[in-house]
Amino acid sequence: MEASAITLLTTYLAASVRMAVPLTLAGLGEAVSEKSGVINIGLEAIMLLGAFCSFIVTFYTKNLILGLAAGALGGAAVSMLHAVLSIYCRVNQTISGLALNFTVSGLTSFLFLIVFGQSTELPVCNVFNNKNIFVYIALACVAAAAIVFYRSEWGVRLHAVGEHPRAADTAGISVSAIRYGACLVNGLLGGLAGSYITLSQLGFFMENITAGKGYIALAVVILGRRNPVGIFLAAMVIGFSEALQFNLQTLGFSAPSQVFTMFPYLMAVAVLCLSIGKSGDPAALGIPYERDKR
Amino acid sequence: MLLMKNINKSFFGKPANKNVCLELKAGEIHGLLGENGAGKTTLMNILYGMYKKDDGQVIWKGSPVEFSSPKDAIANHIGMVHQHFMLVPTLTVSQNVTLGLRPKGYPFPNRTALNASVKEISSRYGLELDPEAMISELSVGEQQRVEIIKLLYRDAELLILDEPTATLTPQETKSFFDVLRRLRESGRSIIIITHRIPEIMEITDRVTVLRGGENAVSADTKDVTEEELAEFMIGRPLKHVRRTVSAPVSEGGLSLEQVSLVEKGRERLRDISMTIGNGEILGVAGVEGNGQKELAEVILGIRRHTSGKILMEGNDIGGLDTLRRRSLGIAYISDDRHNDDLIMDMDLMENMLLRYHCEKSFRSGWGLLNNAALCSAAQKAVEEYDIKAPGLKAPIRYLSGGNQQKFILSREIASALKCVVAINPIRGLDIGAAEFIHERLLELRSQGCSILLVSSDLEEILALSDRIAVLYKGHFMDILKNSNTDMVKLGLLMAGRTVERKDGQHD
Amino acid sequence: MTRKTANQMLSFAGISALTLLTAVIFILIVGGNVIIAFSSFFRGIWGSAYSISEVFVKATPLIFTGLGVTIGFRSGFVNIGAEGQLYMGAIAATAISLSFKGMPAIIMLPLIFLGGFAAGGLWALIPGTLKAKFGISEVICTIMFNYIAINITGILVRTWLKDPDYPYPISPAMPESAWLPAFFPTLRIHAGILVALAFAAAVYLLVWRTPTGFRMRAVGLNPRACKCVGISVNKNIMLSAVLSGGLAGLAGVCEVAGLHHKLLEGISPDYGYLAIIVALLGGSNPAGVIAAAFGISALQTGSLSMQRGAGVPASISSVIMGVIVLLVLSRKVLFKHLLMKEQEG
Repeated sequence: MEASAITLLTTYLAASVRMAVPLTLAGLGEAVSEKSGVINIGLEAIMLLGAFCSFIVTFYTKNLILGLAAGALGGAAVSMLHAVLSIYCRVNQTISGLALNFTVSGLTSFLFLIVFGQSTELPVCNVFNNKNIFVYIALACVAAAAIVFYRSEWGVRLHAVGEHPRAADTAGISVSAIRYGACLVNGLLGGLAGSYITLSQLGFFMENITAGKGYIALAVVILGRRNPVGIFLAAMVIGFSEALQFNLQTLGFSAPSQVFTMFPYLMAVAVLCLSIGKSGDPAALGIPYERDKR
Repeated sequence: MLLMKNINKSFFGKPANKNVCLELKAGEIHGLLGENGAGKTTLMNILYGMYKKDDGQVIWKGSPVEFSSPKDAIANHIGMVHQHFMLVPTLTVSQNVTLGLRPKGYPFPNRTALNASVKEISSRYGLELDPEAMISELSVGEQQRVEIIKLLYRDAELLILDEPTATLTPQETKSFFDVLRRLRESGRSIIIITHRIPEIMEITDRVTVLRGGENAVSADTKDVTEEELAEFMIGRPLKHVRRTVSAPVSEGGLSLEQVSLVEKGRERLRDISMTIGNGEILGVAGVEGNGQKELAEVILGIRRHTSGKILMEGNDIGGLDTLRRRSLGIAYISDDRHNDDLIMDMDLMENMLLRYHCEKSFRSGWGLLNNAALCSAAQKAVEEYDIKAPGLKAPIRYLSGGNQQKFILSREIASALKCVVAINPIRGLDIGAAEFIHERLLELRSQGCSILLVSSDLEEILALSDRIAVLYKGHFMDILKNSNTDMVKLGLLMAGRTVERKDGQHD
Repeated sequence: MTRKTANQMLSFAGISALTLLTAVIFILIVGGNVIIAFSSFFRGIWGSAYSISEVFVKATPLIFTGLGVTIGFRSGFVNIGAEGQLYMGAIAATAISLSFKGMPAIIMLPLIFLGGFAAGGLWALIPGTLKAKFGISEVICTIMFNYIAINITGILVRTWLKDPDYPYPISPAMPESAWLPAFFPTLRIHAGILVALAFAAAVYLLVWRTPTGFRMRAVGLNPRACKCVGISVNKNIMLSAVLSGGLAGLAGVCEVAGLHHKLLEGISPDYGYLAIIVALLGGSNPAGVIAAAFGISALQTGSLSMQRGAGVPASISSVIMGVIVLLVLSRKVLFKHLLMKEQEG
């Protein structure tokens, strides 16, 4: 009995880690962006376009690395558009993010239909054989992010731009440049997260394939308090609930599947509630910076 | 050393600098004097590259320069310390000092070595600090030292200081001036922006006065008197508000008994006890950040006091919420009108409603708002208080600061007003509006109102108060009668000393 | 007309032109014929009684949810959860009508509206309370609640609200007393549109002409000043959450009571998210919301027709909507030179 309990635990842990990968990657990217002061509700759009681009490129070139790169770049395209709107046009970042979600959702749907037409069979592409490669990438990113945030001058500048942009400006730091850079990182990592869903988990693309993961990643960032290790742990918690969801279904519980698909979202709300009183948002989050403002 | 010629700058059509000229010689401390809104900070922001000038020339060390960002100014050895400190509260002293620089080993610099060099500079100029302290833990005076170290670290030859003594005690100001003299001896030039004439007289070599965005005069400090400077600054002789000595005060009014406020484990207010009688003004002096805002908010009910009693006319109001305390006749004029008193994007009528949204007279039969009644109330306020507004329906953000403050006053002052709590009511206002506000306060006093006047402007306190309380670290150091009060004694109390000491000693 | 107003209108004309251009580009990418595409689009909107009725049908829930989001916006409560609140309202309406089958319409209809409002309001009150009391971001919370509500619907139509006679996840038919009357027998347009317009007027009165509404707007603009003056920020946030969610719940009631007459999955093709666009384009006021609701509804109906008539995928409507929003958001910067002229004069 002991041995099987341990195997069960390890299987769950392994599954949780795999489920946590896209949330971790997207969460890290969003944390970088938020630390610089730009909040991106359109994380969903980033992941979606990342998934789409990686799928298309892998389908046609049969090259997984190219697909990954395409996914990252696709995500970056969305995030840079958001960056221009938020930094240069100074729009309401929440609305901009939501609008992007709409646009990209329609766009990917539209393009998919054009490329593949209305076929009954879902086109598939090849996937990574070694599923763990993404886990290593994700953990490496967590470590890199921690080093950059807390041990490098880049991290200090990033922090300054998000907390007190005027101080950074008077010190000669370009607030816009850092914010654009942060958004770029957000897009690349988010696009990578989207590619993971297609290239590692599923092997195909369909409408709404991200199913709200982008929003859950936002919750993960809040609970993890924008700390890379915290984000990973929070993502693990949600990953665990997702793993639980799949396992309970296969174990033959007679309740409708929706009971299980609810788990990750309920967990995200619980995660949000756990972050009560631990705000610590960057002081300038969501506030566009204007040098000439009196 | 520096020459600024015919600088012009406008914001949204309103001119801030009109053909302004400034000349600075090497190794001199130059005062830039003017009232609020005279254009001093704008001019210096242009020099520092924060703003772009519309017209004019800046000549630095013999060659014309065009700074498009502070980076250029810093590269040319010009540094600026702003009125509101440009320090990131969640970073250390050392990190703030080196912010924006690329020290050796960038992006992974040797923080220990940097800490050491920061410490070295701070000792060299008498600006003692711990490089690893978090900015949020430092006092205002200490934060200012960090700002100056920032400039020295970058080999600044010209230091621009914007209202540097605004938040310092008289003793801290003295040590600050010593630092300035030391910097001058080391060959640096300093421009001080201020509106305080005594300080100009004490520390500067030359002074330029700005008024209404234009040059009023430039002269050697030893060639002018305080009165002359004041007249240049204001443009007309000063009018002094006369306070009549009142009869002994009657009972009632506002009183606090041993009120304390503890927030997040820190004591903000400690054992505050005072009584303001009917028809009395109690002035609360003290350097900002010693509990003034907390005191006002505790009286209004915006913050809940932790212990002690708050009484109004003998009745305990400690358990009432803000709305009910206000309906008992307490008015509040905050120092931060943009955030506390007004809704900037609403118009005059709606801002009036902010105070009177529960009033039955502003409601019609069906529970809807009575716009006609609101309109006439707003109109009345505009006429009685001579408020200049582009119409009743214009968002209140388009009114000038003085008119906004007058509006707030007109709204707060209704009949049956028993008590007024005012914090820095004339800060940022022109002389005309300031005099108006003071006259109204004295009028209220003669009508029997209890007034708590909190201000960091000692002149205001001395002019209006019947008694003066000094607030230091959340506690009343003493409550004195206002007659022939000694400025030095007040300064000592404000700095936390109850025993008389000789000047010149550091805190 | 002043120069300033003329310039403003020009910028909006510019946005319309850019939008049209985008549509044309997308049509061409698909290889469709632009003329045929546009003509089927417009035929889909006013070409027949059925098309016009469809525009009204789709506009009804958008007006409700748009009003709800607007109230939220005005009070500082960003309600992205209209989708979930809609479903909760639909669930309540179905459950109530099935539980009290015998009641006459005159009691039944107000009852289901009340129940739907309460359900939606409660669903929004939870994130609202979390925001008011604990400062938790309502943006993410309401989105999560959407997914939860959709799943709850799925569970219910498979268990307690499942029609035993059908193998599909669908509820039994609602009693006729709970049906919103339709105007014409062959068209789907129903009385819900009148209820929606009535509520639009009510919302206007409440928010702009009563002290309660004033307090909510004040809290949305400057919560700090409200605190100093004695207006309770928490209470008003929670109130606006309830009202906002309640209105979205009413959208759900109309969909089941007026259109489907039973509860099933997928009754909302993202009405809750579209509501945000409706509120934005409508300038957060009831009249604008009505106009924007009809506009978006027309866009969607026309796109469906365009798909049938010219083979252009209907998802083009999402793209166009997103583009419009992005253009509207960035209008001041895009047309900077045009709009800045009168500022410097």
